Amino acid sequence: MTKNLAISARGLGKRYRLGSGLSGHDSLRDLIQAGARSIFRQPSKDPKPREEFWALNDVSFDIEKGENVGIIGLNGAGKSTLLKILSRIVTPTTGTARIEGRLGALIEVGTGFHQELTGRENVYLYGAILGMSRREVDSKFDAIVDFSEIADFIDTPVKRYSSGMYVRLAFSVAAHLEPDILLLDEVLAVGDFTFQRKCMDFAHALERRGATILFVSHNMFSIKSMCQRVIYLKKGKVAYDGPTDEGLKLYESDCRLAAAPWFHPEPGMPVVDITDIELLGEDGQRKSVFDFGERMTIRVRYDARDTVVEPDIRIGVNRSDEVHCCTFSSVADGMQIASISKDGMIELVTPPVKLVSDSYRLTISIRERRHGRMIVATLGESFHVRHPVFASNAFGVFNEPAEWKVKNSSLASAPRRSYAAAKDAI
Amino acid sequence: MTNPTDLQTLNRLTASIENLRDGSHSAHSVVTQIRPTKGLFDLELEGLWPYRELLGVLVKRDIQILYRQAALGIAWAILQPAFTVLIFAIIFGHFAKMPSDGIPYPIFAFAGVLPWTYFAEALRRSSNGLVTEAELVRKVYFPRLLVPIAGIIGPALDFFVGLVILLGLMLIYGISPTWNLLAVVPLLALAGLQALAVGLWLGPINVRFRDIKYTLPFLIQIWMYASPIVYPLSLIPKDWHWLYSLNPMVGVIEGFRWAIAGGTFNAQPLLISVAVGSVLIVGGLVFFKHMERTFADVI
Repeated sequence: MTKNLAISARGLGKRYRLGSGLSGHDSLRDLIQAGARSIFRQPSKDPKPREEFWALNDVSFDIEKGENVGIIGLNGAGKSTLLKILSRIVTPTTGTARIEGRLGALIEVGTGFHQELTGRENVYLYGAILGMSRREVDSKFDAIVDFSEIADFIDTPVKRYSSGMYVRLAFSVAAHLEPDILLLDEVLAVGDFTFQRKCMDFAHALERRGATILFVSHNMFSIKSMCQRVIYLKKGKVAYDGPTDEGLKLYESDCRLAAAPWFHPEPGMPVVDITDIELLGEDGQRKSVFDFGERMTIRVRYDARDTVVEPDIRIGVNRSDEVHCCTFSSVADGMQIASISKDGMIELVTPPVKLVSDSYRLTISIRERRHGRMIVATLGESFHVRHPVFASNAFGVFNEPAEWKVKNSSLASAPRRSYAAAKDAI
Repeated sequence: MTNPTDLQTLNRLTASIENLRDGSHSAHSVVTQIRPTKGLFDLELEGLWPYRELLGVLVKRDIQILYRQAALGIAWAILQPAFTVLIFAIIFGHFAKMPSDGIPYPIFAFAGVLPWTYFAEALRRSSNGLVTEAELVRKVYFPRLLVPIAGIIGPALDFFVGLVILLGLMLIYGISPTWNLLAVVPLLALAGLQALAVGLWLGPINVRFRDIKYTLPFLIQIWMYASPIVYPLSLIPKDWHWLYSLNPMVGVIEGFRWAIAGGTFNAQPLLISVAVGSVLIVGGLVFFKHMERTFADVI
């Protein structure tokens, strides 16, 4: 029955205690004080129940060998906790799991590197930490060093490395681990976007070798390209487990119009709800994938329960790796809005979108111009920009063609402006 | 990184992973069971064996970094006990005229300082190790017991360097070593197990309450004066020997003096030491395994 299962989880749960109680004391003095207080306190008073928080609650699933499963969910839904339980870093409060095969967890690369040791010494140290034998590291050592591209510095203490070298070496070791099951957390993986792309390619290569992959990501493109199945966690529980397309639809519809986690409304502020956001293409049809250079129409519906005088309506665009790319502001664009009240609709037509190929998310916020305070901030629709060449790992945030001048050389042809031509050229 | 390098890297990454031999890892399947509760005495000691290489690597790392970027390097392993013995010899031997069971005082003190220095360092490392390795504990799985175990192995190097110096000092004083000297090895192991036994208790408490880190230096100092290092066991009234010997280091240090300088072998403190150590270590293992489950949550 369990012959082909790589991971089988039954009723996994993890409880954390918050606030008061033993776990709230960080030194013995606090504990002693709390103890003394409780002695002198009237025993009749109800002891305040400890606040409990189930980061994961009754999570069950089976994953077959060779299956690639995406774990999706909002921040704090329990994705990382699940990976930590499966990699045995934390112990579940309830439930069991059975894992068959060698497990590799790429949760944070480079943990365990020692600053004083040389690159060579650290390869062995980190290899052992990841569960490789000395013989295994011996046989792969040259490949690891070669791959890391830091052969010249292999006998230099890593404290003299740049952070890029450090990550490259650490990742090279991890990439040679050859796990049967890979737990990959794209969010926690340190490093820049280039490095996260490396993680993805690493996962793809493992996938072709028939490894089982559990993949946590916020990037729906990555999930779609790798996983046939997703498990959608919501407040620590499995909200959906099945084919990727349906799961992503469910997730994206849940993600829409969520209050921004960093926004904390003050009491007494006017109340405005963002009730709907629509993305339209140039043809007026709703869509979520736009071609590079296309103009987007963003239609926002709101319900202002209190009147907001001179609002500044802002629509921000964040890339999947949380790089804040740009923000359109009605005030900055010279739009004078006297006030908004009741329900209404605002439409923004963007200039041709020159953002590089990636997935993006909108943030809608409204400020009162006079007070300068923010009265609503809502995370909205996600969309993708498509371009064959301009990707964020090599082309940064946006691309506009520039004028080039070449001296002492002859041009092969006139400068090419079309994107199809650019694609051919690179 | 420039773009071409970037693409090259990606291609090479993909290629190098695909080129890895396929059969090397799946010869026998590893099955891991994850469950929330375990029996009190389910110590999972068998789970340590597959990680023996990591233990070796951790010990090696500790030794590698110990005297790195110190101009005198490994000489510190000699200088530290040598200065301690010198100070003891001047203050307690020369001025205080402390009795030393007929052994020249510097040899007497050295034979006490050497195992004590080892024990103190082993205790310090096995108690503080989990906190020092907090980053590892939070992010990687390995049997946490490796940390205190590695903590008692590393300092043995300094011990053996010191032992060579002690032997040299004995030659200067005209004391020739006997076969008793072989007893040094099991006595060292006993000292290490005592340190581990206490470290298994203090380490998990330290994870929760950093107070241990500040208490430990005092504990070690008090413990040193409660052990027969600057004075001989014979200074304690005979009727109280059994009580005094409840300090498990008494047996180790007395045994050590016998191994170095001979004399009559006194088995009683050693037996008490073994008994106390056994109780502490079994209790410590149970305590450690019980607390281990929350390390990553609270560290």
